[in-house]
Amino acid sequence: MVDHDTELDELFAVARRQRDHLPEGLAGRMMADAAQVHSEQSLPEQPRQRPVWLQVFDFLGGWRGVGGLATACAAGIWIGLAPPSFLPDPLDLLLQQDETELISDLTLSELYME
Amino acid sequence: MEDLTSIPSPARGGSAVAGEVSDDALLVLFANGDQAAARDLTSRLGPRCYSVAMRMLGNPAEAEDVAQEAMMRLWRIAPDWRSGQAKVSTWLYRVTLNLCMDIKRRKPHAALDAVPEPRDQAMTAPERMQEEARVDALQSALMQLPDRQRQAVVLRHIEELSNPEIAGIMGISVEAVESLTARGKRALAKALAGRREELGYDDG
Repeated sequence: MVDHDTELDELFAVARRQRDHLPEGLAGRMMADAAQVHSEQSLPEQPRQRPVWLQVFDFLGGWRGVGGLATACAAGIWIGLAPPSFLPDPLDLLLQQDETELISDLTLSELYME
Repeated sequence: MEDLTSIPSPARGGSAVAGEVSDDALLVLFANGDQAAARDLTSRLGPRCYSVAMRMLGNPAEAEDVAQEAMMRLWRIAPDWRSGQAKVSTWLYRVTLNLCMDIKRRKPHAALDAVPEPRDQAMTAPERMQEEARVDALQSALMQLPDRQRQAVVLRHIEELSNPEIAGIMGISVEAVESLTARGKRALAKALAGRREELGYDDG
């Protein structure tokens, strides 16, 4: 059994002599992979897409622009609801127009009836 | 393509960064974009992967694929590698063994290819033939072992790792490693018993 162990150890020693061997081209392929991974990892990171509402916010001029727009809207609504005395009341104008359209519709339908 | 023979070994002081630098540190250098570190890691660890894959599979083409894939996984994990968490070589041996098992599961009855072993130019033709015959015989005997015994024997007697390190790689106790290597060696001796004369070992 001792002899067999010695022989086995000799066979292991033979295998160990071939342990540091790499087949031709394999080291090159390994390093090419490494270079590929390097190039993948060094690609500039894509800037993250800003949300749509932030893009609209920026388009309107940021806080300053949106603030001005909000003030203008509020003033418009206020003028619409409580116009200064020298301007006609838009509510009255609207009602007048509706009445006119109603009359003209009636007239037309009466015409068709006849 | 570059052959490893042209790569200066870190052990011989071929690189400015290698030599006393650990695998761990080289991996960090690689993650920081150092291509020289890739060269040093390839020369240190590439042959380890190929050698183990070759002894586990007995097929040079498959062993090359496994070794290349194992190193690819090392390159990819580099940015997330935590220094000091595990030994790079332990991790790589485990990846290599797992890849070998994947191949064996896909091709359970793969035929053993003829194994062209590297040639030592200093040997005479008869010496070389005998060496090749011995390696072929050992490989054939290894292929007859159950997978776990073959893993333990290869890591212990060809890669010359310590039992605790093998236990870490295989995820078993040191006692289990000792048992696997002992049973593996007995089975190898039995498989090779009838070939002593053929391999140049005289009886008596």
